Amino acid sequence: MSAFHFEGLVWHWPIAIYLFLAGLSAGAVFFAIMLKHFKLASEAYHSPFVQAAAIIAPLAVFGGLGILVIDLTKPLDFWKILVFYNTTSVMSMGVLVLMAYQVALFAWIGCIFHQGLTRLLDGRFGAIGRLSTRFIQMLVRQEAAITGILVILSISLGAYTGFLLSALIGFPLLNNPVLPLLFLISGLSSGAAATLLGGVLLRGNPNGIEVRFIHGIEIPMILVEIGLLFTFFAGLILSGGQSQVAALNALGYGFWGWIFWGGVIGIGLTLPLAFNLWMKVSADRKFTYVAVTASFSLIGVFLLRNFILYTGQMTGV
Amino acid sequence: METSKRQFLKGCGALIAGISVYTVTKSPLAENANTDASQTEVKYAMVHDENACIGCNACVEACRETNHVPDGVTRVKIERTGPFGNYPNQSYRFNRVSCQHCEAAPCVRVCPTGAAYIDKDTGIVAVNSDRCVGCQYCIAACPYQVRFINPETRTADKCDFCQQTQLSKGLQPACVLACPTQALTFGNLKDPDSALVKLLKTKPTYRAKVDLGTRPKLFHIQTIDGEVML
Repeated sequence: MSAFHFEGLVWHWPIAIYLFLAGLSAGAVFFAIMLKHFKLASEAYHSPFVQAAAIIAPLAVFGGLGILVIDLTKPLDFWKILVFYNTTSVMSMGVLVLMAYQVALFAWIGCIFHQGLTRLLDGRFGAIGRLSTRFIQMLVRQEAAITGILVILSISLGAYTGFLLSALIGFPLLNNPVLPLLFLISGLSSGAAATLLGGVLLRGNPNGIEVRFIHGIEIPMILVEIGLLFTFFAGLILSGGQSQVAALNALGYGFWGWIFWGGVIGIGLTLPLAFNLWMKVSADRKFTYVAVTASFSLIGVFLLRNFILYTGQMTGV
Repeated sequence: METSKRQFLKGCGALIAGISVYTVTKSPLAENANTDASQTEVKYAMVHDENACIGCNACVEACRETNHVPDGVTRVKIERTGPFGNYPNQSYRFNRVSCQHCEAAPCVRVCPTGAAYIDKDTGIVAVNSDRCVGCQYCIAACPYQVRFINPETRTADKCDFCQQTQLSKGLQPACVLACPTQALTFGNLKDPDSALVKLLKTKPTYRAKVDLGTRPKLFHIQTIDGEVML
């Protein structure tokens, strides 16, 4: 059986990229909000890390949606998903969440960077400029509500990427209640990593409070992720039958076994955890350290999405 | 400001809780269709007698011709296992793989646009090609793996008991008419005098993967000969 082509395979790697990017966008926004709320307050707008998140989050969600649309057999008919809804369909509800998420995301970005935006619009673009300024001021007044909604939507989006797959009752590895949680947590950690990587690339201080704050959350999150992965596979193996076959098939020898143990567990979880624990004691964080740790996390989450998507479709009930 | 913020968040929380409870009580859609359909006169089903089937694939060819199914894809397959036993006492087992027309169809539940639906008048699971965008969620969701993308229409396709091509003319499905050994029986589950119901009441049948809660309407009469398998 080839790793990327086998009987019963319906969804290919573009779906894995889409799931990865949607989770990453949700995670980046989540951490940007946390940074502002707990550390930066009104200083948030000139933090390179918040700026990075504000760039990454919309790009990732647009990129993901673009890939999703291109992957349809009738890409030009994608508008039908936006017009027709089915309340029992996870995909349909996910599209609703995605739409609301994007609106809230831009409203929030407008709030955070309102000073810069207002200065940019000041005296330019005539009536449209004045209207936009009024609109931004209105958004700023509602910032608390927008932030609250965006937190809920970003968590929903992260979990949705898992629910999308766990609704497939024919595949025991995917039809698993732990999967949405696993995807939510790994999506948040990929968002954190993307924020860190983007932040240091935008000349952010690799030893700054933002990095310390995110790294402080990262260790518990990696531990939770390892726990969820363990529960995920232990649960499948203890269920017996095809669930056990699916789990052992995925974790055993072969291409995907290597991806899991080497990529997801090794590069994605163990090395960042080791780096983080080691950095706790020694003090100064350097650019390479932050960039490498974040890249490893991102690679791990990306491989996890592909691993689950492909191995999940290998074993049916 | 503080109180209004709290009130707003409370309101949002209540709204989200309400929406999720509402969707939970509404699902699955197929269940609703079923309660409506239970008052209708017609509910089509099919029996495949695996003892009578000789694996000639006449059903597959008849289906392809009648429903203009392109090469490379098919709405019905006869899966062959075996041979069992030693020559000259060898036998095969034949299994029909096609849409099961589930009462609680997973494809209908996951379809984001409602292109996959259950026809309330006949209980047939069908595809509204105009609504289908080709996300392939239904293909992944079907535990019987009988759905495919039709390379000509670029939309999801599968057996619909020849709803458009044969039933509308008052004819039996093409596969049933083509079968040389009368291994296929098609009829109305609601009609106690139909050949289908009479057959179901005289022979023990099984349905595939019932533990998934799909309540399929494709019945199989199991092969008696062949090997004991664990």
